[in-house]
Amino acid sequence: MGRVRRYAMGYVLIAPALLAAVVFLFLPMVVSAYWSFTEFNGIRPPRWVGLDNYLDLFGNPRFLRSLQNTVFFVTFGMGIGPVLGLASALLLNRARFLQGLFRTAYFLPVMTSLTVVGTIWKMMLNEQGLLNSLLGFFALPGHRWLTDPTTALPSVVAASIWQGFGFETVVFLAALQSIPREYYDAAKVDGAAAGALLRHITLPALRPTIVFVYVIGIIGSFQVFDQVFVMTNGGPVQATRTLVFHLYDRFNSQDLGQASAVAYVLLAILATLSYVQIRLSERGA
Amino acid sequence: MRRRSLTPGLYAVLVLSALLMVGPFLWALSTSFKTASDVFASPPEWIPDPPTLDNYRDVFLKLPFLRFLLNSVVVAVSVVLLNVVFGTAAAYAFAKLRFPGRDAIFFALLLTLMVPFQTNLIPLYKIMVELHELSPLIGADTYFGLIAPSAIQVFGIFLMRQFLRSIPDELLESARVDGASEFRILRSIVFPLAAPGMATLAIFTFLGAWNDLLWPFIVTSSDQMRTLPVGLALLARRNTVDWGETMAGTILAAGPMILVFLILQRRFIEGLTAGAVKDVG
Repeated sequence: MGRVRRYAMGYVLIAPALLAAVVFLFLPMVVSAYWSFTEFNGIRPPRWVGLDNYLDLFGNPRFLRSLQNTVFFVTFGMGIGPVLGLASALLLNRARFLQGLFRTAYFLPVMTSLTVVGTIWKMMLNEQGLLNSLLGFFALPGHRWLTDPTTALPSVVAASIWQGFGFETVVFLAALQSIPREYYDAAKVDGAAAGALLRHITLPALRPTIVFVYVIGIIGSFQVFDQVFVMTNGGPVQATRTLVFHLYDRFNSQDLGQASAVAYVLLAILATLSYVQIRLSERGA
Repeated sequence: MRRRSLTPGLYAVLVLSALLMVGPFLWALSTSFKTASDVFASPPEWIPDPPTLDNYRDVFLKLPFLRFLLNSVVVAVSVVLLNVVFGTAAAYAFAKLRFPGRDAIFFALLLTLMVPFQTNLIPLYKIMVELHELSPLIGADTYFGLIAPSAIQVFGIFLMRQFLRSIPDELLESARVDGASEFRILRSIVFPLAAPGMATLAIFTFLGAWNDLLWPFIVTSSDQMRTLPVGLALLARRNTVDWGETMAGTILAAGPMILVFLILQRRFIEGLTAGAVKDVG
């Protein structure tokens, strides 16, 4: 009797979560998979076309461009952002005076949405905007940052690095401060130089945090959308079209079959990354 | 000695980077009080001359920004409460109760962590459109539509389960021996002990809901149901952007969160870094 009631309690407690997961997670996932094999405009019933949507994608220049842009965004955003964050955490960790104030300043953009950040940067990067004025002050030429296809995507990357910088700094700073001081004291007694301390104590101790920042960052970066939507709307001439932007664009054009295929390509990329990450963390443990 | 000699250079770098992080917000604030002809004045004007409140008046006349603020608050607070209560309850069952199918169900949920929200976006939208046909209170362009997809997030159940596993079974057993019901155990033992984990969950879900753009943009169609990021995106995406007005919108969208952060920053930073730093050392 007691055991049966305990069983019942378990089901009662997970019921709301399970219901939500079935209706808002599993059902849409299955429907999305089905639509990716159909031609569907959202009004007439879906028509089965097999693998056509996927085959079309890999011959579609706009999709290929979106894939290329997304990889560029992830590579440069993640190549630069966390390194800057780590460098700034190492510096901040040495500052005894006003450390909290600097930390607060760096963290402000983390508290605001990418929509806000994208909007402010769009204004600053305007042809007559603040950045060009500052460049002019140093007698440097201005530039059409967001309307020139060669600089539009790097500008979006820069805005995104700026937004994530504070999070990375604060996470690395907290990790640095959790390393026991005795490690450093012991190494210094042995006459270790600053470079050796960084390489043999700091970086190994930060390893789990570095992995965390990269896992979160890479997964998030593959889903980049908001800042593109606000700053450039995928342009000029596809220069900032990303995977999720392409998905949104196909959805907007009532091309739901293609949009669903893009959705599943994104899922495949992220699932592969998760798999690699799990394997790596197993090996590291 | 070495550290001391580094100090002026160190602080120069720190101050410069702090200016780079705060400057854009001050520039946005300044622009929101500028007349149209001063927005791109050369050289740049940091103190608006003459200052004007017209941008704020215009933005309120064109778009119901107070309503956006209300909607953002309703959505974010509901998402936090639902996740904290139902996510913790489910996590408790997965961590501490035994029932057939428990591990299989948990594993199935865990697998969905790999699925990006965008994969489900379009069917989810169609589901919301269908639900709206059933009743005007639910589905697309309602609070239900804005809240429901993120009301009980799997990552929250996962986070809370990790947290609750550290509660000793003996504590729960002795409460049961004393005749406490599972609901009472949940309320009097589990929830209080889980409070730090709940705080982290609350911060993550709040920021996620507060900052979200794509889903609220798609699921709402009337101005009455827009959230702050959607309202701001509407301003920033116009063909000819009115920058004074748009910066007024930016300040309205970013200001409340920045104020809350400045008051509760220690909690925010601790909550957000908890997951990252726990494993170190």
